[in-house]
Parts: sequence; C-alpha cells; structure tokens
Amino acid sequence: MDLPAQVWMQAIVNGFALGWLYVLMALGLTLILSIMGILQLAHGEVYMIGAYVTYYCCVSFGVNLYASMFISMAVMAGFGLFLERFLFRPVRAQILAPIVISLGLTLILMSTAVVGFGLYERSIPRLAQGSVVFIGSAVPKDRIIAVGFAVALLLLLYLFLKKSRFGQAMVASAQSREGAILRGISPNVMSSMAMAIGCALAAAGGTLAGSILMLTPSMGTLPLVKGLVIIVLGGMGSLLGAAIGGIFLGLVDGIIPVAFSPGLTSLAPLVVVIVILLVRPQGLFGHE
Amino acid sequence: MNRKLLITIISIVVLAAVLITLPIALNNVYWTSILVIMGVNILLVSSLRTIKLVGHISLGHVGFSLIGAYGSALLVMKLGLSFWISILLGGLMAAVVALALAYPFLQVKGIYFALLTLLTAETFRLIAWYWPSLTGGFWGLLKIPSPNPITIPLIGTINFENISNYYYVVAVIVSLSLFVLYRLEHSHLGFKWIAIQDAEALAQSVGINVKWHKMLNFAIACFFAGLAGALFAHYQHALSPDSTARFGVLMSIYLVVYMVVGGESKFSGPVIGTVILTIISELGRALGEYQPMMIGAIAIFVMLLMPEGLIGLPKRGKLWYRRSLHQTKRMRSA
Repeated sequence: MDLPAQVWMQAIVNGFALGWLYVLMALGLTLILSIMGILQLAHGEVYMIGAYVTYYCCVSFGVNLYASMFISMAVMAGFGLFLERFLFRPVRAQILAPIVISLGLTLILMSTAVVGFGLYERSIPRLAQGSVVFIGSAVPKDRIIAVGFAVALLLLLYLFLKKSRFGQAMVASAQSREGAILRGISPNVMSSMAMAIGCALAAAGGTLAGSILMLTPSMGTLPLVKGLVIIVLGGMGSLLGAAIGGIFLGLVDGIIPVAFSPGLTSLAPLVVVIVILLVRPQGLFGHE
Repeated sequence: MNRKLLITIISIVVLAAVLITLPIALNNVYWTSILVIMGVNILLVSSLRTIKLVGHISLGHVGFSLIGAYGSALLVMKLGLSFWISILLGGLMAAVVALALAYPFLQVKGIYFALLTLLTAETFRLIAWYWPSLTGGFWGLLKIPSPNPITIPLIGTINFENISNYYYVVAVIVSLSLFVLYRLEHSHLGFKWIAIQDAEALAQSVGINVKWHKMLNFAIACFFAGLAGALFAHYQHALSPDSTARFGVLMSIYLVVYMVVGGESKFSGPVIGTVILTIISELGRALGEYQPMMIGAIAIFVMLLMPEGLIGLPKRGKLWYRRSLHQTKRMRSA
C-alpha cells in the first residue's frame, strides 16, 4: 500500500499512545485480579470518573492540569478503598457475587455520570501544545508526555512491588494467600492496597485519555475490554506481559485501520487471543 | 393420581391460561410488546443459567444472540427461507460458533472464561458494525419481515404482522424451549453437568469427559440464545449493532443481573427475576436516566443481603417464622 511515511508514523504514534493507556487499565485489573481474585468489571467506570474528576478540578476550579491529575488519582484511590471495604470484601470468597456486584456498580456509576456530567462530549485541556520532529515527521508533544507518564507509573509500580516491604508482601499474597497469612500478611490490607493502586492507575489512564481523546460517560467500556484482553495475552499478574500486550493492542488499533479496514481491527484481538490460548494457555508471560 | 402430579398439571393449565389471556386482558400494544421482549429475555436468561450449571459465567450471551438474530434475518431476506426454518438455523449458527470458540476458551479456568465471552460479544457486535454490505453497518439491518402468514383449515389465515399474534408465536417457542432446557437439566446429561460444577476433578475421574460436556453445554445454551435473538429480530424488524442497543455490553450485564436477582440455584429463578425486574424497570421508566442506577442498586443489594436471590425468600421466611415460633414457646415455658 502506497501511503506516505507521515501517515504510517502518525498511525504508529497514535497506536503507541493508545497502547500505554490500555496498559494503565490492564495493570489495575491484573493487580486486583491476582490479589483479590476478583474480576473488577467496573474498572472502566473508575477510569471514566477519574477523568471527570480531573476535568472538574482543572476546568471548573482552575487547578493546574498535572496537580488535578494527582488529585484525581488520590480521590479514586480513596474511592477504591471504599469499594473494597464495603462491596467486595464481604463476597471475596465467591465467584459469581463479585462479578455481579461489579456489574451493578457499572450500571450505577455509568448512569451517575450520565445524570451528573451530561451526555455531551468534552475534553480535558491538552497536556502540551505543538509537536516535535522525529525521523522526518511531526509527533505531537502531548502524546509523548502521556506515554512518559504511563511509563513512569509502570516503573514506579515495578519498583514498589520489587523493592518495598509492602510490595513484596503483595507479591507474596498473590502467590499464596495462605502462606502469606502464615507470615503475618493480612489479606484485607493487601486487597485494600491493590484496589487503591489499581483505581489510582485507572484515574491516571482516564485523565490521559480524556486529554488525548474525549470525555464521555461511556468512555470506559472500550479500554476495559482491551484491558481484559491484555490480561489474557500477557498472563495474569505479569507487569511485563501487561506492558507488551498493551502496546501490541495499541499498535493493532493504530495501524490496521490505516493499512487494511477498521473491521479487521475489531476482529484482531479475538483471533490473537484464540491463537495464544491454543498455543500457550497461561498467557505470554504468565506461569501456571 | 398422586398429589404432586395434580399440582403440576393444575399449575401448567393455569400458567397456559394466563399466557393466553394476558394480551387480551392487557389489550394494549405497548404492554404486549413488553411481554414479547420479556419472553425473549426469559429465554436468554434461562439459557445463561444452563451455562452456570457447569460452573461457568458467560458475559457474552448477547453476542450469540446477535448471531442468531442477524443469521435468521439474513436467511429470510437474502435466501427467502421461511421464518420457521430460519429461526432454527439462526440458533444452530450460534451453536456452531459457540462450539468452535468453546474449545480454545475452555483452556483457561472459570473467571477467564467470563472475560473471553465478553470479548467475543464485543467482537461480534463490531463485526456487524463494520460489515455494511452484509449487515447494513451502523445504520443497522432494516425491514426484516414478520413470519409469513399461515393458513390453518377451519381457523383461517393468521397474520403475524399483528403484535398480539406474534406474541403467541414467542410464547409457544419460549415455552417449548424452556421445557427442553428443563428436561435437559433433569436428564442424565444435566446430572453430569451438575457433577462437573460440584467437583470437576471427581467428575473427570469417574469417566465424564469434562471438556466435551462443557463444550456441549455451551453450544446448547448458545443455540437458545441464538433462537431468542432470531425471535427478537422478527419482532423488531430492525437490528442495530450500536453499543447502547440490544447487543451491547450493557445488555449482557442486565442478563446476568436478571439471573442472580431471581436466583440461579433453581430453574424458576431466571424467569422470576426477569419478570420482576422487567416490571420494576417499566414502572421506573419515569425515572429516566436514574433507572439503570436502580437496577444496579438492586443487584448489589441482592448479592450482599440475600445471595440466593428472590427464590430464596420463601425458605428464609419459613426459617424466620419457625425461629420466632420457637422463641415464643421457650418464653412461655420459662
């Protein structure tokens, strides 16, 4: 196909930026799934509400954009603690109940957003204006900053899990719940932490998405589905798997509509997942 | 004749009488169309519960219902097949796709299965969206015909353009399907499914081919999902792949909520859940945007406070009654 290099570059940059947004979503999901054993299907709505919190801080109260992002992350972490304590902790041992509760939560949060924020589309101010020239084509600055943020958050999470006592306790709890309890690690504290961190990451992802793309009450559904695909692709609890899976999906979303047709983009994740499941059921970087 | 059989026969007769007289009694196009949708949803939710019998949760039932709906509608429109054959073929298409997908999906355990079905449903919806030459794309598939009129000697020609006549078609097909699902659950096959849910490793060790039975179970459930979709297509006369319409993630959520609010441990649970929640959401229509909030709150409330659902209520009431009776007796003797 004879498309100018500029178009290809644009597709790759867009895909890369999208991919990192999906990574932020997937990290929260995989953290919650591996520590609490719960499929948090309302995570897309946490992402959406996080974006709106930033929007209101920034646009209505005139707080600096970056400061509002951190406020939103803190607010959503608090919200996550609340959800964990009152909705998910009572039903953690079951399979169906947490799923239904997260579905009910999705309905509640989505209609709250429709009522409270309205259906029309808005957008958070851009992270930065202008663009830089990279290998002969213009790359918007805001995408670079968004990717930078996402990478920084991933690295922070990695360092936290590997180097800090709490992080190591979380890893232990994910590996063996009973073993961790025997060593004096409270599963409740670990679950609260997983939920708080996961929701903060979702808020960051929502904010970046709201700045690059649009804010709508239904903006969380697509990243949620992508995040779930990434977990299957990368393997549960694997940060590297989540990062690579996310970038891969983002590039698929960026490049295939340009190169082929948009229809194939929607088919690609399912086909890839099926192939992965047949070849390596535990995911690319997962372990049994 | 024993008492149990008599009760069963009487309740079936009463139920049939209610089903037949309902549209006449309501005498209202709006409420009759609600009944049609309710019938379609009952079939969807009951077949969702069939998957739950082997211990899996599907969040993508609408995806298979979409295959049945588009399949049946296209067979009638493009190939000129009769409605009665095409709805079965629509269900069959859904079952075949389900059987093919079940093999890779069952490589992973419980919770991932739910996640994969969600992905599947979204993928099917997007395919319908991006394939305008076949499905009409995002404008949707329009002008889907009603079933052809049939002529029965002595009665005359029955025209299904009329909504209350179509209601009877739906009532009969849904009732027959529910009967089949009920019989399946209480057959040898159904016992195997329940054995798999209760103790998968044990079931495997006594010679039940777990994977094959799970695949079969998924395919059968998806057949009925496809059938329900086909019934919906020929009622609505138009299908839309929009995410807010019939085949979006939200509808999958509603189906699961209907199932658990009714209670998934008994066959009647999904039916009761669907009927009651449909009535509640119709009464709550005045609330507008707040309506999904109400349904979501009901779902959370039921899960936290009465996990066995509405069908668990009589048992709870009985227990509570007995306990209070016991207490008063003890107080008297003291």
